Amino acid sequence: MKLNAFTWIIVTLAVTAWVFILPVEAVATILVLQLVLLLYIKRSKTMLAAIGGLGVFTGMMILLQLLFGSSLRVSLFGGLRMLVMTLAFLCMLATTRIQSIAKALVDRFHLPVEYAFMLTTALRFVPNFLEDSEITLDAQSCRGYSNRGNVLKRLLSYVVVIRPLVMRAVSKSETLALSMELRGFGANTYKNMPKEQLTVVDFAVLAVVVVLSTYPFWKKFLFV
Amino acid sequence: MIEAKEINFAYRRGIPVLNDINCKIEDGEFVALIGHNGSGKTTLSRMFMALDHPRSGQILVDGEDIINYEPADLADKVGYVFQNPDLQILADTVYEEIAYGPRVKKLPEENIKTNVKSAIAAMGLKGLEGIYPRNLSFGQKRRLGVAAALALNPRILILDEITNGQDAVEQAAMMEYLKALNEEKGTTVILITHDMNVVRKYARRAIVLTDGHLVFDGKPQELFQGDQPVERWGLRRPVVSVLASRLGLSAANCEEFCEAVRKGGEA
Repeated sequence: MKLNAFTWIIVTLAVTAWVFILPVEAVATILVLQLVLLLYIKRSKTMLAAIGGLGVFTGMMILLQLLFGSSLRVSLFGGLRMLVMTLAFLCMLATTRIQSIAKALVDRFHLPVEYAFMLTTALRFVPNFLEDSEITLDAQSCRGYSNRGNVLKRLLSYVVVIRPLVMRAVSKSETLALSMELRGFGANTYKNMPKEQLTVVDFAVLAVVVVLSTYPFWKKFLFV
Repeated sequence: MIEAKEINFAYRRGIPVLNDINCKIEDGEFVALIGHNGSGKTTLSRMFMALDHPRSGQILVDGEDIINYEPADLADKVGYVFQNPDLQILADTVYEEIAYGPRVKKLPEENIKTNVKSAIAAMGLKGLEGIYPRNLSFGQKRRLGVAAALALNPRILILDEITNGQDAVEQAAMMEYLKALNEEKGTTVILITHDMNVVRKYARRAIVLTDGHLVFDGKPQELFQGDQPVERWGLRRPVVSVLASRLGLSAANCEEFCEAVRKGGEA
């Protein structure tokens, strides 16, 4: 059972809205469902590390909110919202091919090809960027760079890793743009790929999306 | 001196990359570390620089176990040059790029100047000190990478596939600079390469890894001339050795080949 990329985009956008309109219990339930889904798709160390990393980041967000005077409840709910929104994107990326997302953006949302391509290329650059950052970090370490000292010192010294990476990314994107242009990018992009049809499961999921997204309205009329 | 003692290593997925590796590289040697892709040569060389640490066994640099070292701690003893120079260029001029290492190590300004000048001279970059490094040719960038490592005066230099993607002239220039460095300054050179002609011409010792096992450690002449199953290890003999064997002769380099042909003619 595989959802269409279009459905995934709708679900992802809807989840970002739900965290603001649904009660906290419902948002917590979504979080549980997302975690189950992610672990069902790929129960690997990488996935656990990604979820763990997001958890740490959420913890930091909560702590910051507390430090700036928010109540515990508000801080926790804020952290939960952020986590659920981020996991929604992670779920989409873990289950859908980037090409399918681009195709859906062009076909169903009528986004110009250039923008869809830009979005998906940015996503595709992430693993390359991470790989390059590891090599750069190693290369600079071999020349004496050390990530020791207090946080500020470490952040400032990280410039020696960031700078070559940015220059490399710019150069790579220039090469990519040139090669795409030379191959006639934009003339017929994505049009040759068959349109991915929605299935019964997609319609069912979309129906749930509609029901949950209109929660404030039917709550108002049903529970008066 | 670098020594690997009973080294075993596996990445996260658990597939062994190195199995019981033992080797000792003395000061002043010119060693070629060779093997097919995935044989473990880069992994072993990374361990020499403390970029990775063995699961079991020891890496000794000057007799000291480096298990708790970081690469930065070894930078003034061991220099490591990566394949892609673009990934380390951070300064606006060649001079500043080379001076980065000594500055991080907080050497006195006088020493920095001397080291940088000496590294520039050793890698033939004189006259390019003020140039923006990204405007250099690929070969020059490679030499800049080596010069940057040399600026810390390491006694051991590890070069990862440094001759890849270079034209014949640039490649020869680079190798001649390394040869001079090895012969004149006594710098130990550990060269990771797939180019058997370079191994034959410049290395005085070849270490062959295949599937994580050390299968040969000796002179390149013995490797290419003898009955070693070089092809089975995923290597290709140098053209001159192949030509010699087709003619029923035995030669590991051009000089030996000419000598053998001359002798054959006389006979």
